[in-house]
Amino acid sequence: MSKKLEQEFVKQLNENQNIVHKICRLYTNDQHAHNDLFQEVTVQLWRAYPKFRGDSKFSTWMYRVALNTAITLYRKSTRRVKTQDYESVQFKIEDQQEDDEQMEQLTLLYGAVKQLNDIEKALVFLYLEDKNYREIAETMGISEVNARVKMNRIKTKLTNIINP
Amino acid sequence: MDQLDILKKNWQSQTSETPQFTSDQLTGLLAKKSTGIVKWLFIIAIIEFSLFAIVGLFSHFSDQQQESIELLGQPLYYGSLILHYVVIIFFIYLFYSNYKNISTEQPTRSLMKSILKTRRTMKWYIWYNLIYIMVLGMIMSAILIPNDPRVVHLMESPNAVGHETAFYFMFFGICFVIFLVLCVVMYLIYMLIYGILLRRLKRNYNELKRMEV
Repeated sequence: MSKKLEQEFVKQLNENQNIVHKICRLYTNDQHAHNDLFQEVTVQLWRAYPKFRGDSKFSTWMYRVALNTAITLYRKSTRRVKTQDYESVQFKIEDQQEDDEQMEQLTLLYGAVKQLNDIEKALVFLYLEDKNYREIAETMGISEVNARVKMNRIKTKLTNIINP
Repeated sequence: MDQLDILKKNWQSQTSETPQFTSDQLTGLLAKKSTGIVKWLFIIAIIEFSLFAIVGLFSHFSDQQQESIELLGQPLYYGSLILHYVVIIFFIYLFYSNYKNISTEQPTRSLMKSILKTRRTMKWYIWYNLIYIMVLGMIMSAILIPNDPRVVHLMESPNAVGHETAFYFMFFGICFVIFLVLCVVMYLIYMLIYGILLRRLKRNYNELKRMEV
């Protein structure tokens, strides 16, 4: 593949790499696995890139490929011990405008999201990324009504995890 | 206010210790090979295709085969051989077209569907081969046993006289059991390989399917 295409791709990936990092953070529990998944997502994006015609935004296209890689293609290494690295689970934001209590709430909620299964995580992720139900449904390949119903169930589930 | 919406409000400003990659690092990542399950499915399929092709070739060139050609007759022997390879080529075509359909740009559910379809093709391929080996093996034994000099010699021993039919059935039964054990072992190996590889995918696929009900 040509150098020009490669440069163009790296530029776009660089601008949007935070999306991939957010997905990796959600689906893995340590730095090593995080990098593993990031690499696999990059490989899959690059492989699919020649077919990307710009009908949709790069980031929209990226959501689909990256989530598909995390849910479907990526093989979690079973050799690693499944311990939750508390540091990486913690939710951090740029400015500490929020008071401590609220921050604690957010950390707790993020921890709860990490306990969801792969599919639920994907729905929550798209919801948090401010995608509407039509986009969520299209990405997952389910109907809009079902996406909505499932999202409501997930919200209940999250509340139950936080307040047992 | 919905708790998830509080998280959503702060979602875009999240940070972490995860270092951002530089352009050079990202370029480096492009050269890496995939370690995903689709690549493994492809490798396993190649192994399966070649394994059965080799088994076929070996049996074709063994000494015993010359005997079976005589006994079966050339048209029947070569006919079954040609048919066998036509079916294998058909399977390779089917596998390849399924494999080409696996694209990460599809909606998640259809992506999973195409992966499972590829696996199903390989399952049918294995089944076809096992049944082919079984049927051919049984026909061969049925023809070969009464004509094998060692068996004929055994039949002439004083113990066997009068019990020929029982002996034939015993030989036939032993062959059948051997083939059956072979099939079961291969099936278990198959289940194990794909089970490990696709366990997570199947679980996620079922989860998506459950949503649709």
